[in-house]
Formats: sequence, structure tokens, C-alpha cells
Amino acid sequence: MDIKKLLTPLTAWGNITKDPVTIKDPLNERPGADRYRGFHRNDVEVCIGCGTCEEICENEAIDMVAIAETKDGDSGLRPMIDYGRCCWCALCVDVCTTNSLSMSNEYTWVTTDPEDFRFVPGVDKKDWDKGDKGWKKPENYEFYSIKRVHMEELSPEERNGSFIEMMKGYSKEQAEKEADRCVECGICTATCPAHMGIPEYIKAIRNDDLEEGLRILYDTNPLPEICGRICTHKCESVCSMGHKGDPISIRWLKRYIADQNPSEKYKKILEVENLQPKDKKVAIIGSGPSGLSAAHYLALMGYQVKIFEKLEKAGGMMRYGIPEYRLPYDQIDKDINYILSLGVEIEYNVNIGTDISLEQLGKDYDAVFSGTGLQLGRSTGIEGSDNEHVYYSTDLLRKIAQGEEIEVAESIVVIGGGNVAMDITRSLARLQKEKYGKIQIITTSLEKEENMPADREEVVEAREEGCVINPGWAPKSIEIKDGIPTGLHVVKCNSLFDGEGRFNPQCDLDVKEFWPGTMIVQSIGQGMDISYITEEMREKLEFGPRGRVQTDEYFQTSLKWLFMGGDIIQGPDVIHGIANGHMAAVGIDRMLNPEK
Amino acid sequence: MQDTIKNLTERFGASNMIEKKPGLIFITIEQSKAISAVTYLRDIEGYTVLTLLTAVDWIEDNVFQLTYLLNNPEQITEIGLRVMIDREKAEMESAHHLWPNVEVYQRELKEMYGINFPGSPRIDENFILEGWNDKPPYRRDFDTKEYAENNFFPRPGRKTNDPAEYMKQKMYPNNPSDYTNKKYNPNR
Amino acid sequence: MEKSKLFTLNEDRSLYPEHDENGKPIVDLSSHKFLKIWQGPQHPGVTGNMSLELTVSGDEIVESKTHVGYLHRGFEKLMERRKYIQCFPTCIRMCVAEPDPNEYVLSNAIEELSGIEVPEMAKWLRTLVLEMARLQVLLRGVPGQAGTFALGLGYQWGNYLRDLILDSFEELTGGRVYHMYILPGGVRGLLPDGFKKRMEDKLKLIDEFMIKIDKLIFQNVVFESRARGLGYIPKEWVDVYGVYGPAARAAGVMRDVRKTNPYLKYSELDFEPYTTTDSDVFARTEVRYNDLKMTVDLIRQIMAKMPEKGDIKAETPNVMHWKIPKGETYSKCESSRGEYGMYMVSDGSDKPRRVNLKGPSYTHANALLDRLLINANIADTAAIMVSLATCPPEIER
Repeated sequence: MDIKKLLTPLTAWGNITKDPVTIKDPLNERPGADRYRGFHRNDVEVCIGCGTCEEICENEAIDMVAIAETKDGDSGLRPMIDYGRCCWCALCVDVCTTNSLSMSNEYTWVTTDPEDFRFVPGVDKKDWDKGDKGWKKPENYEFYSIKRVHMEELSPEERNGSFIEMMKGYSKEQAEKEADRCVECGICTATCPAHMGIPEYIKAIRNDDLEEGLRILYDTNPLPEICGRICTHKCESVCSMGHKGDPISIRWLKRYIADQNPSEKYKKILEVENLQPKDKKVAIIGSGPSGLSAAHYLALMGYQVKIFEKLEKAGGMMRYGIPEYRLPYDQIDKDINYILSLGVEIEYNVNIGTDISLEQLGKDYDAVFSGTGLQLGRSTGIEGSDNEHVYYSTDLLRKIAQGEEIEVAESIVVIGGGNVAMDITRSLARLQKEKYGKIQIITTSLEKEENMPADREEVVEAREEGCVINPGWAPKSIEIKDGIPTGLHVVKCNSLFDGEGRFNPQCDLDVKEFWPGTMIVQSIGQGMDISYITEEMREKLEFGPRGRVQTDEYFQTSLKWLFMGGDIIQGPDVIHGIANGHMAAVGIDRMLNPEK
Repeated sequence: MQDTIKNLTERFGASNMIEKKPGLIFITIEQSKAISAVTYLRDIEGYTVLTLLTAVDWIEDNVFQLTYLLNNPEQITEIGLRVMIDREKAEMESAHHLWPNVEVYQRELKEMYGINFPGSPRIDENFILEGWNDKPPYRRDFDTKEYAENNFFPRPGRKTNDPAEYMKQKMYPNNPSDYTNKKYNPNR
Repeated sequence: MEKSKLFTLNEDRSLYPEHDENGKPIVDLSSHKFLKIWQGPQHPGVTGNMSLELTVSGDEIVESKTHVGYLHRGFEKLMERRKYIQCFPTCIRMCVAEPDPNEYVLSNAIEELSGIEVPEMAKWLRTLVLEMARLQVLLRGVPGQAGTFALGLGYQWGNYLRDLILDSFEELTGGRVYHMYILPGGVRGLLPDGFKKRMEDKLKLIDEFMIKIDKLIFQNVVFESRARGLGYIPKEWVDVYGVYGPAARAAGVMRDVRKTNPYLKYSELDFEPYTTTDSDVFARTEVRYNDLKMTVDLIRQIMAKMPEKGDIKAETPNVMHWKIPKGETYSKCESSRGEYGMYMVSDGSDKPRRVNLKGPSYTHANALLDRLLINANIADTAAIMVSLATCPPEIER
């Protein structure tokens, strides 16, 4: 036996003089590390209740419970965490779409009631709510792409002087990549006026099942080619992905589904080859979005539907109010022809009120839906606005669509800051380029740049194309010389609304400019023309604010046989029209088939 | 490696070779020739280590895939032999004579997948589960969640809401999306 | 090397029982020469629970059967109903003491199946974390070997240092035991400020500890007498019984995935795994002691060579519906116990079709242990089990 090996281990006694290494007061001396994954924190003001945390929780530790008010873009739900199940992996934090969820570095909480370990972080106040240490989503990565897939478009030079569609559409790879970004929270569905199954059709793109995608689209929207191009996409404004990055390009994805399905296959895909006809008839006034939508759903239900259209083609404002470079006519035809193929009849060049009276329609048909929309231009009423060279944008856009020649001036001033103003500005710019080889157009709005009602990309693109957009001015008067306008006097507009939120523009009269132009276009909104409603009928109808006819949730007026929808009731935009038309179709069916 | 694959293909009718990464291939062998192939690989080709033996349930094709993953420590290569066996008649020739650990793998497979290896020592003994009377739990048709829900009790008072569904109830209980194409079209 | 015979009481351990022609012992319990006892499930030889059904004659084991089933949680099956991203917090529990190799093999398998290349920085951080995990295990494992002979002092020292390493884990990953740091595509964070400095301070403490532990264990006559010649694994058994890592290297067979199949950044690091030929408990402890030294050195090398900044995660599809192409793979790494591998099969959906984890304990603690325990002393079972680094949770998953 090696005696050295008997003694060497005894050197361990040398430790007897050393201080112990134990932490004496671990509750106070030992906070968790900066990245510690302790109890959760949630900034409930930032949280939108999208439920992605619940979805990713592999232990089903999270319940979404009602806490806040439910509104657009916020479900009002907030995560409640069961710490009996939580494994502190922080996947919920990393996946959080708003970055509201994080974890504290607290790990020593003790309570006697096990139920206390189930609470809503941020709502049930805890000691660790205030600190800033603990796990946060690392800045260096995301669990999904927060950048939108760019859609290719024509360059501004190519766009000028041509009405070719400028957005080229997504390729398969692009669409699938963009669809992959969706977390399927469904917050968007509530905001979409038609409550489309957005997460579902995006999922169909991911699964490369575009036929199923088309079926989902037609469940709530019979005009997908159109909406896929020019919808106001309110859904995108609430998309949970928009909080950290770009919202999902919902509109373009819808267009992708519609574009990829050939029109000749629609009836087979949508399984509408054997509709069961009913012997009741419905008349529809106007072939705008609401009329077409109503016609589509009524046709599906088997009703005999006839549309009365004032102009020579169907589509209403979609055809006559939106320039071709945004919405090509063949795409409008694709959607409309499918609806007509369901057996919907249409009669063109019929003016209700003059050619046939509304009462007559009411007698001839079991129900009437009117979606006549807003076609009258609204005047600024300023001095000189009654001159014949001062135009309304609606009239000009309609004439362009009808192929009529327009006397485009060399220099133009447009008044208005909405999408229609951008449409007319960009359309006129194209015509100027064609005629004069150069663009000289200036567009103004009362609203400042950041509050302009037009879509941001419209403004950007208009500028790219060489138009001058100069917002924040109030039109003062139009200078007329020899019966022809020479330009527009404007003054600086500082605010639009007073303290109580009423429209009351405040202008600085000292800051003024004069913009020369021999053609002035007013594009400050549209008014409705419901002159086809006679005086006797008016007495029976109820009217709401702003001269609108009062309807119930099924868009039924107090005249039971008359339903109204679209821009004359709600909106104005296409998607509201579609939703109204659909709901009116349901209402008509309820009225005509009460037993159901 | 190339020679080995050639021999496997020619002598044992191996097919569907996939080289997953350098030094790792997977190859399918018929059930009747599988154990001979394993023995051949061990004794002739130097695949002396059995890295693992496990099963995959391809319930939709009604087969179990047995994977014999063999390692050649000299060449530093691995071969995964896939053997497809009938799921209804889940039985496979035992390989317990080749490596002492095979009986343990086979006992586990018997218990978890119900794959029998006649002749394998202690094959009917419990490996992990004691007193188990349900179907073999690693089969795809055994639903762990359902089992847990039936045999254990959830914590009372838990209730969750789907954001989209909840928003519908709160904001638009009656809306056109309830009246879809589906509802009116008897064909769908 | 001279083997001490100090405490061996009976030289001839072949008296009982008689063996049949297959070499199986003939045990007739009614003869009263034998006794059946159960060791476990609470067992000094393992982290976790496991039982040994021992047939003894006096204090000599004539037959041993391993019984597992106390830690089966069915993780492999649970992962079949989880999205790929949800698997990485699940898989870590398959070996509690050393969770990081689980994270790595899972993430690596997913990356191999979906063809994702991990950024350089993430590879360095993964290498660092895997070595820290090894360090943390060995700090407890090496002195723990002496603990099985009731020399618990070194274990206390090691546990303190292990705690310091867990502090580093906490700083880096946000968790002490379950780090959940290596995720499919990369890792979850860069080194915090001052991490390297603090780590170096801890490594210095470990250097001192290595000297102290050498004196306490290897220069210790009790340890030497009991460990030498105990649990001998002949070289030929290595392939037959599936012996991996330190246990194989103690038998003179080079088995180290870091060397044979260099992954992550190991090909850029300078190291030579220690081998010896005695192949008993003493030799295996020696190998792990040297592994510990090497790990300290590797961590220093990694910290010196790794870049300061860089991408830590490759771009992956949205994790909420990440589908992986159909295929299968086997992804492996070297854990402190040996080759640690995961066989993963994907059917093209967003959830794995089959995940099978194969750790060295599966072979070490079953056939090999049953064989090694024959003719061993009851009091030596724990030492043999610890020397094989038995981890029951990875046997039954």
C-alpha cells in the first residue's frame, strides 16, 4: 500500500479555514439574470389579443380571457397563464406579434393558494410588473418574416402615358412566401366589412390549393379579381403582423388566387353547375359592387335575378370610376361574366325613374334591391367653380372609361386628397403625357400630408409619375379670364376640425399661393342621386342622417319589398357594397322564404 | 461505401437508396432478406455497431418501417436499413443473436408498437409500461391527448376564446359570412 | 499498472452459481443459496430512477436485470403532435442532467431535413454551449464517482462549481437547468457583456479544483483499491455491447463524435480526446477527468476564436406552420456520456412523423450493465453505474 496515497487526500482538510461559498440570503442577494425566464409581464395596452402565444404554447398553458374592449384590431382578449403547465420556454414571448409579452427575472414568488398561479400578466398586478429585467424577444431574430414580399410593378417611366396595369401580381413563390407570414390570428376578419375568411384563404395559398382558396373567396366576396386589386384593404390596417413590420399583403394574395383560377373553370370549382331554381323574381338596380353581390348570392339561392343598369356596361364605379391602370377592364369582365353565367339577366341603358318607375319594379318583382351608388360630383362652391372648364372627377373618369375624348389642358389643378383625386390626377397625367409629352399637374388637399385620406402608395406612385401633390392648402377661388380658368388661389390650411371634432377648417389667410391651370378638377367627394324615389315613396321611407335611407341589418327599408345597399347606405367603398349586397340577399331570402 | 451499396443491391435486392449526408445513407430491404443483410453488413462490411433499432408507423400505408441503423467505426459511415413490414401482421425475425442489446430494442418495440419478434428473449416482459391494457401507445392510432383526457382530470375553471370567433360574437354576431355559398348550395 | 487487491475478500468468485451450457447461471431460489433483492428505483448510481433486480449469493451478484419505467414520459410520441418549433422545449427533458445535446441533435435534425444552413456565429455559440454542458456534467460526474464509494466531499466542491457554470447558463440562455437555447435555425442570443471575463474567472477556479480533485480521488488509496479492476470492459465488447464515449476510450477504443464526425466548429479546435486501456472504473474516471480538463481548454479556445457579433439564426419559414419535406435523418453529437443521436422522420407535414432518441445509456445500462454486474459486489453496483454515466430518462424517454 502506498502510504503517500493514504495521506494525500487529507489535504482536503485545508478547506476548513476557508469561508463557505453559500449565498446566505438567496431571496435578496440573488436576483435572476438579465435574461432570466421568470414570471410573465404583458403590456396590456400594446397587446391586441391575437392569441398567437396561446397557439404556440406547447403545454396549453395559455387561455385567452376577455379583459379589454373588443374593437377593430384588438380582440379584447388577453393571455392568462397557468403556471402549473408553463415550462418557461418563452416561445410565447418570441412569437408575440406586438412584442407586448415578456418575462421578468422573478422566480421566488410564493403563495399559499395554488389558484394564484393562474393569472393574467399585466392585469393581475404583481411585484415584478415594473422591473425591466428578464427575457425579451431577442432583437436578432424573428419567428416569421416581418418584411412584405415586394410585388413587381411597372417603372414610373413605363407607367406614364399608358393605362396598362401597373402591379404585376405575385408569382407562385412570392405568394406562398407572403402567405407564409400569416400567423392565422383572424383579427383581420372582424375588420373586413364582408368578414372574409382571410386566414383560411391565405392557408389555401400555403397549401397550394387555389381551388379551395377560390371557394373561400366566393363564400363572402363574388368580386375577387376586383377586390384583389382595388379594395381599400382595411384588413391590412389591423393585421397583427403590422405591429412589428409590414402587414400581410392580404389584397394581393386575394388577387393571386383569383388570377390563378381560369374563368372557364369557375363553375366547376365553385360547384354551381346544378343550382336549384326558385320561382321568385328579384330586380336589382345598378350593377355596382352591391348590386352584383346581391345578384350573385340571390342567384345561388335560385332566385331569378334581373339587373337594370343605366350605362352601357356593368360594373358601376368599378368600371367608370377607377382607372384602367389600377383595375383592367378584362378583370372586371371576368368577375361579372361569372355572375351573369349563373343565370343573372342584365338590361343595359335603362334608367329607373324615367324608363321604368321604381313602383312598377316593386309590382313586377317579389323584391327590389337598389345599389345606385354615389355618382354626382360635389362642388367646392368657391368662386369660379361653376365655370364650364371646372370639372368633377367622377364625370372625367367615366368619360375616360367610356373612351370619350377629353380636352386635356396643358396645366391642370386638382382639388382633393382622396383615392379618387389620385385616380383622376394620375389618369390626367397619362393623358397629358400622351398629348403634350410632359406632365404639369398639381393636386392639393385640405388635409396635411400625414392625414391625407388617399392610400399612401397612391400618393407615392403619383409623385413617382411626375405629378405634384401638395397637401395642406384650402382652395380660395378660381381665377377666370375670358371664360377660361387661369389658375387656383389657395391659402394655407392649418387644421380641419375644431376642439369638438366638428369639420371647421382653420386657414392662415396670409400664406397664399396661386397655381396656374387652365383646367380645374374638383374631387372632394360624391353625392347620391336617388331621384328615382318618388315623393309618395319618400313619405313611407324613413331617412337617417345625411339624407340616407334608414335600413335594418338586412338592408331592408321600411317599404318591405325594397332593399338598399352600397355607397348610398354605407361606405363608400367596394367591399362595403359587397357586404351590403350579400346581407341584402340574405334579407330578401328571409322575407321570401320565411319558413327557413 | 459504393461497393457496399452495390452488394446490398445485388445480393439483397436493396432499393430506394438515399444519401442524406456524407457518410449516412438509408436503403430499403425486403423483410425476408433483412436479417441476412444486417448480418452481412456486420460480419463482412464492418458495420459492427448497431446504433439503433426503431420503428415508424406508416398507418396510411398499413406498414411499419423498422430502421436498423448500423455504424462502421472504421470507415465512419452509417447505413440505415428500412424494412417495411405488414402492420396487420406485425412480426419480424429476431436479431437478438447479433448484438446483446437487440433484445432490449425488440422488447421496447413489442411494447410500444406491438411488433412481435418470436424467439427474442424476455420479449413478453414489460419494458417500461406496467399493467398496460390499451393498444400499443406509439402506434399512430393511439391518441395520447384523448387518453390523457379520459384518464386524468383537467384543472377546473379553465376556459379560452378563439380571437376570431370571439370578435365575431362581440362585433358582428349576424353577418354575411354565416350565409356562405356552402349554406345555399346543396352541392357543397 | 499494478492492481491493488486490498479489499478483495474472496479471490474465487466462481463458486456460485453453476452455469448451464449457454453460460446462464442456474439460480434456484428455493435452495436458499440465493437471494433476490431490488436496488432502486431510488438508486445512488444514477441521476433519475431505475431499478436493478439482483440475484445475489452472499454479497456477490450472480444475475442482474435492469428495470426501467419510472421516468417514461413518452416525449417521442408527444413530439409527434407538436409543431417543429414546439419540440425543442420538449426534447430537453429526455436527459435532464445534460439537456443541451438534446436541443442540438433535434435542431440539427430539423435543419438537415429542411436544408437550413446555420450562421457561423450560431455555430460557435452552439459549440460553446455544448462544451459548457459537458463541463457542468463532468464537474459533478467525476467527483460523483468517488461519491459512490461514500467519498462525498469532492462532489460538494464540484457541485459548487457546477452552480457557477449554471449561473453562466442563466446569463446566456435565461435558464439554469433547461436552457432552451439551441433552436431550429440557430440560437437565441449573443453572449452578454462581460461573459467571457466571468467565464474565465470560473475556469480558473476549476483549474484549482482539478488539482484538488486529483489529490482527493486519484491519489487516494481507498478510491484506487475499490475502483481498480472493477467493472472491466474488454475491448472486444465495445462494438458488441455498444459502448460509447469515455467508457469506450477507457478501453482503448477511440470513440468521440467530435473527432470522428466533426460537427459545428470542432474541426477548427485543437484537442485530442484521452484514451487509456485499463477499462475499469478507475480508468473511466481518469478518462472523464481528462475530458473535463479538455473541456476547460476547449471553452478557452472557443471564447478566443469566436467572433463578437453575427447572425444568430437563419431565416426559417414561419414557425407557426413550418412544414418540412419528407425524409429521414440521423443527427448525432458527443455528449459527456458518448454518442448522442436522434433519428427523425418527416412525412412532409408540420409535425415530425417519428422522433427517436438514442443515448448511450440505452446500451450501457441494459445489456452491458447486466453483464458487468455479474460477480460484482452489491456495494459496487453504484460505482459501475456511475462509471457508465447511466442516465435513465434517456433510456425510456
